[in-house]
Amino acid sequence: MVRFKNRYVLCEVVSEDPRCRQCIEDRTLGLAVRDAIARVHGDYGLACCSISFTVKYLNAYTGTVLLRCRKDSYRLLCSALPFVRYLESRAQRYPCFLNTLHVGGTIRTCQKFLIQYNRTQLLRLLQNCTTEEERQCIQKSLLSCSLTVEQSQSGEEEEDDGTE
Amino acid sequence: ELPDGGARPNAAQFKQLVVTALRELHGEVGAALPVDVLTYEEKTLSAILRVISSGLVKLWSALTLLGFYQNRRCAFRVLQTSPFLLALSGNSRELVL
Repeated sequence: MVRFKNRYVLCEVVSEDPRCRQCIEDRTLGLAVRDAIARVHGDYGLACCSISFTVKYLNAYTGTVLLRCRKDSYRLLCSALPFVRYLESRAQRYPCFLNTLHVGGTIRTCQKFLIQYNRTQLLRLLQNCTTEEERQCIQKSLLSCSLTVEQSQSGEEEEDDGTE
Repeated sequence: ELPDGGARPNAAQFKQLVVTALRELHGEVGAALPVDVLTYEEKTLSAILRVISSGLVKLWSALTLLGFYQNRRCAFRVLQTSPFLLALSGNSRELVL
């Protein structure tokens, strides 16, 4: 009954710079988060959180990031996330910040939350979009993701974000 | 303890040393821990520090792991800890009533 319990933190990378999206990589993001933890919580915090720290999932198009850490040190990690101010890659700094969306115990719960969240984001994009083609595009993706129960499995897999 | 004889830190430098130790081990959160230097004697290099009880572990671990003061080797020895200031003045086991 003794097993290592992990916490999965779902975040979103928000940036003003459009070039930042292309340079989001798991290594750069991992280094940026570890650097922030080292600054805020020192050597002890860095060592504590790095035991089982990885970037589990990364979506560069939507800026969705899933981080994993131990259950004992997830609070240290979450408190250090607001201190990530920029992402650095190839000698270029892009200012950005991380929005924490959800903290879950398994990847499955985070995935369920992400699907719900993407649905609400699509609806909000539909209200905000300006041109007609964007509207058509978003309406098509909304329809494709809210199918009936038998086809809902395949519908949830083809979740695509509308253009901004 | 500073084994090599050299310039001894004054009270402000001592506090700076303690805060630096906390910052190295526990980061900005540790450096923000409210630590007070109640007394400091430059001759014996001993001091009485006050810290909130939840911060004792952080402070003691940071002091233990501090090795250098201005590139000179140094060590912190904790002689006594107690929640009461009066208890630090003497050894209560040898109290003669």
